Amino acid sequence: MINQYMDTFRLFEVDIFRSLYETVDMMFTAMAVSLILGLILGFVLFITGSQGIFKNKAVYFVVSGLINITRSIPFILFIIVIIPLNRVILGTGFGVNASKIPLSFIGIATFSRFTEKDLLDVDKSIYETSYALGSNTLQYFIYFLLREARSGLVLSFTSTSISLLSYSTVMGIIGGGGLGYLAISEGYYNFNYKLMWIIIVMMILIVQFIQTTGNVVAKKIDKR
Amino acid sequence: MFQTVSTFVIIDLTFSKLGEVMIKLEHISKKFTINGKETKIIEDISLQVEKGDIFGLVGETGSGKSTILRLMNGFMAPDEGNIFLMGEKLDEKTKYRLVKDTSMIFQDFNLLGNLNVLDNVLLPTRLRRGSKKDNLDKAKNLLSFVGLSNFEESYIRNLSGGEKQRVAIARTLMTSPKVVFCDEPTSALDHKMSYEILKLLKEINDKFDTTIVLVSHDISVIKSLCNRVAILEKGKVRDIISLDTKDLMPLSYREALLYD
Repeated sequence: MINQYMDTFRLFEVDIFRSLYETVDMMFTAMAVSLILGLILGFVLFITGSQGIFKNKAVYFVVSGLINITRSIPFILFIIVIIPLNRVILGTGFGVNASKIPLSFIGIATFSRFTEKDLLDVDKSIYETSYALGSNTLQYFIYFLLREARSGLVLSFTSTSISLLSYSTVMGIIGGGGLGYLAISEGYYNFNYKLMWIIIVMMILIVQFIQTTGNVVAKKIDKR
Repeated sequence: MFQTVSTFVIIDLTFSKLGEVMIKLEHISKKFTINGKETKIIEDISLQVEKGDIFGLVGETGSGKSTILRLMNGFMAPDEGNIFLMGEKLDEKTKYRLVKDTSMIFQDFNLLGNLNVLDNVLLPTRLRRGSKKDNLDKAKNLLSFVGLSNFEESYIRNLSGGEKQRVAIARTLMTSPKVVFCDEPTSALDHKMSYEILKLLKEINDKFDTTIVLVSHDISVIKSLCNRVAILEKGKVRDIISLDTKDLMPLSYREALLYD
């Protein structure tokens, strides 16, 4: 039986590795964008929120609202409704590169919420401590808040990355390709269930790898 | 209680000794909104702290003593009145510069758990310019001064309460502050540890002529350390008292229980 799976793997080897590359390509860009913009938006939510140092209901309402809207539209529909935006940014609505746009949006929305929560989990007195020791607002973010929240942020980023992997499987509808699309188009629709199962196992291994790496890093940097 | 202690001398503010004024509060008032209701926490307080003073603020919980400390270092702004820190008026523009010449010791130590002892002590220097080598030497010397030379690489979670507070004191001294604010520095510590910390504060005052403002609800802490004390009641200064400071004596539990 194992031989049958090996034969299927060999038969689709080129497709599998091409799809894996597409998945990694989409994921990598979306992860990088989510990390930077998600962190920034998370900070904005944190500082303008009800316990924030620059409490601002209007800014919080707008940012929080946009994040909620992004997260509440079923992702497959979200991909479709932002096709015009893909065209504006990239000149095309379809393909692997266009797929990076909706993936990045959902990544930013997910990670910014996680970031807000992680920052809220940090001891509230840290702002006063930073001020009393002579820090300005930027130094408070870098030397105090980020340092104390770092292991939580790593775990949050891990969860965001796994969500992105899951979201990336439906990018086929705008020609994004990837492992998930191969499993559905070739494996399921073409009755090639062995290929489908090979890809499912690959996805499980990727998720295990991401989660284990996240856990190890988070544990290593958590000295509290 | 105050009237029975012969060493207390009640004096008027205007007759206080003429030293360099480090902190001056002029008719300070502060309101907070608690449960949707505006409550006056500080009401028309005027006082001054001079260079080299160990100035105590005592009062019941809710008397406003911790608020005064946070007004003095500029963390909070008063609703009315002026505050002068080292001769300059505290406001939104000056506070970040002025606070750099002060430091604070907290009841719960407020150390960063993700940094080791040495990095916690070095933290204030990362917020300022200066030579890394000099800072490292100074941090090591200060850790030796507070008796924690062997703990440089330790993380905060592995320290006792007294050790944590000593790290906080070393961190405070790192920038050679002119004024150190202490908010209930011994409340989370047992009797023996409290004595060690108070002894250290006294030493700092003697050795570096650092002005110390100490908030405590524990009258024995104030009595053993402060040369001037403001007694607060419901947001107002009821009295300002000068004390004859004695040498800080170690107290065993037995002594503490049996003698005043």
